[in-house]
Amino acid sequence: MPLKLLLIEDDPLLASTLTETLTVENQRVERIADGGEAFARLSLDHDYDLILLDLNLPTRSGLDVLATLRSRDRQTPVLILTARAAIEDRVKGLDLGADDYLAKPFALDELEARVRALLRRRQNDPSEPLVLGSLSLDRQRQHFTLNDTILSLPPREHRLLACLIHYAGEPVDKARLLEDAFAGETVGDNAIEVYVHRLRRRLAASDVRLRTVRGIGYLLEVE
Amino acid sequence: MTLLRRWHLSHLSLYRRLMVWLLCPLALLVAIMLLQAWLASREAADRAFDRLLDAAALSIAEQVRWQQSRLWMDLPPSALEMLATDAEERVFYALYDAQGHFVTGNRSLPSLPTENDIQMNYGDVTSQDMPLRLGVLRARLEGWDRSDRFEVRVAQTREGRQALANQLFLASFVNILIIAGLAVVVVLLSARFALEPLTRLRRAIRQRNPRTLSPLELALPLELAELRQALNELLARMRRVRANQERFIGDASHQLKTPLAGLSARAELALRQSDPAAWREALTTMHGTATKTARLAGQLLSLTRLNNPEATPAKQTVDLTALARRCVREAFSRHHRRGIDLGVEVPEHAVMVSVNDWQLEEALNNLIENASIYGASQVTVQVTDAPARLTVTDDGPGIPESQRLLMLRPFHRGQETGDGSGLGLAIVDSIARAHDIRLSLQAAHPDHPERPGLCIALTFSSDA
Repeated sequence: MPLKLLLIEDDPLLASTLTETLTVENQRVERIADGGEAFARLSLDHDYDLILLDLNLPTRSGLDVLATLRSRDRQTPVLILTARAAIEDRVKGLDLGADDYLAKPFALDELEARVRALLRRRQNDPSEPLVLGSLSLDRQRQHFTLNDTILSLPPREHRLLACLIHYAGEPVDKARLLEDAFAGETVGDNAIEVYVHRLRRRLAASDVRLRTVRGIGYLLEVE
Repeated sequence: MTLLRRWHLSHLSLYRRLMVWLLCPLALLVAIMLLQAWLASREAADRAFDRLLDAAALSIAEQVRWQQSRLWMDLPPSALEMLATDAEERVFYALYDAQGHFVTGNRSLPSLPTENDIQMNYGDVTSQDMPLRLGVLRARLEGWDRSDRFEVRVAQTREGRQALANQLFLASFVNILIIAGLAVVVVLLSARFALEPLTRLRRAIRQRNPRTLSPLELALPLELAELRQALNELLARMRRVRANQERFIGDASHQLKTPLAGLSARAELALRQSDPAAWREALTTMHGTATKTARLAGQLLSLTRLNNPEATPAKQTVDLTALARRCVREAFSRHHRRGIDLGVEVPEHAVMVSVNDWQLEEALNNLIENASIYGASQVTVQVTDAPARLTVTDDGPGIPESQRLLMLRPFHRGQETGDGSGLGLAIVDSIARAHDIRLSLQAAHPDHPERPGLCIALTFSSDA
């Protein structure tokens, strides 16, 4: 069953470009141009997997639409797209329950990365594998596949990579990695670097890269 | 108390204040004058009637004789006639001897304490529930062999005096009322007249076009001339603000028009060509220009918002460490794609400062963006404690020392070839000034003259 994305955006050029960009295999995009219409649509039950919401809409503001959606549905991820660059507005949107925020103008690949990250986080069904480029994690059988071959990993490397793929596309704090991957274990401060180094070597031949974010942590992404 | 407080209320109109402060004393004055007139009328009436009592008492005293070696008198009717007036008051008289025994008369009358032995004494008494004016004359009957003291007491009911007093008072009352009325009219007119310049000033202000900021030219009395002066100073400040805004809008529209013209020309040129490779090149250029222009528009908006003197943002206690980490996390992917190594160096602990969080975040984002636009390959955000400081260091070409202050001006760009809008540092500067943060620019690696880099520090004042 393809994923359903709802794009609420009034600008025709941007809407058609985004629709074309996001309509890929296993993904369908539905578009609403009017705030009032979006409000009415989201006041009822819906089956969208992700909502992309512009804040400046005719007849009804995007924040209103978000508020009515969140009053009945706390699950569906919402990505705000807006020309209002002020961080103040972003805080307002996130407070109302949006999951992420992208200020216009944005690069298409940035949008794709955010959409992928949100959809991945949305995937609660453990029978669905987590996929990043040529790397995928079968969560039921708890093993990774890289370039269609099973990648067997020692437990700590496995947990580290599982944590990274869960947040793929965004930098993960070192502290969080220590907590998620090595909970309850005493590991030295640079132990994590050793495991990262080993994982990098294993991933070297693929399109998946494990980057260091200086002072923050690590980031797993597709090249 | 409440009345006093009401008088002090500043919303009471000037006219009403004048009325209160002029008419209340005037009313008090009129009341005092009326009281005084009433007392004077009574006194005048008493004086007039007392003279009659005096004359009557004297003519009675002249009738006193010895009869069988006792004091006696026969009263001729004429002696009392003079006391009878139109008011039909009743007249009483009595003769008393030196021992105070009643000798003769038509009614016994009380005595008065001795004040004056030569003239008559007067007093108001009540005898048998009747208010009386009493006159007592002490005299002596002298013979060749004896001398007797006696008292003639004459009394009169008050009707005549009352009538005269009323008549006198009425005349004064009418006079006073006429004068008071004239005074009120004068007060009303002079208050209106005194407040008239204020009315003119109000009309002049009200009739102004809201867009007119020229000074008010209006002849006004001294006190209001000061107000006009203050108003004109405010207008002058507003003119400067507006001139500044107009210059900024002019700059901004020029800044936006130029890349749009470039976009349009580039597209036109590409449409004339038929080589897909040329189209691709044109599209790449246009994409770059469009992105840059959009960023410029966003920065213009935020600079306008920051320079809005009406909006002073609320300050919160913000952890610089968390803020730096958050900004870097969010900016990482975007910069990483451009091949820029963005990182953060922060202490383990929180560094608290009091700022407006979204403005500081905006400043930091602009600094990061600026560094990456102007040719850096490595950008590091640092936070240090004591004093709290936020630094953005890059390894780009840097800015020559002579140019550093100019960089803070809107639309001043370091390199004309750069992708920058020339607003980034102006935004940071406005935010720093609004928060009392010291902004300093210096070379990051002064020992590398080719690529000295730039280190921009925001140092928070210690009490912030």
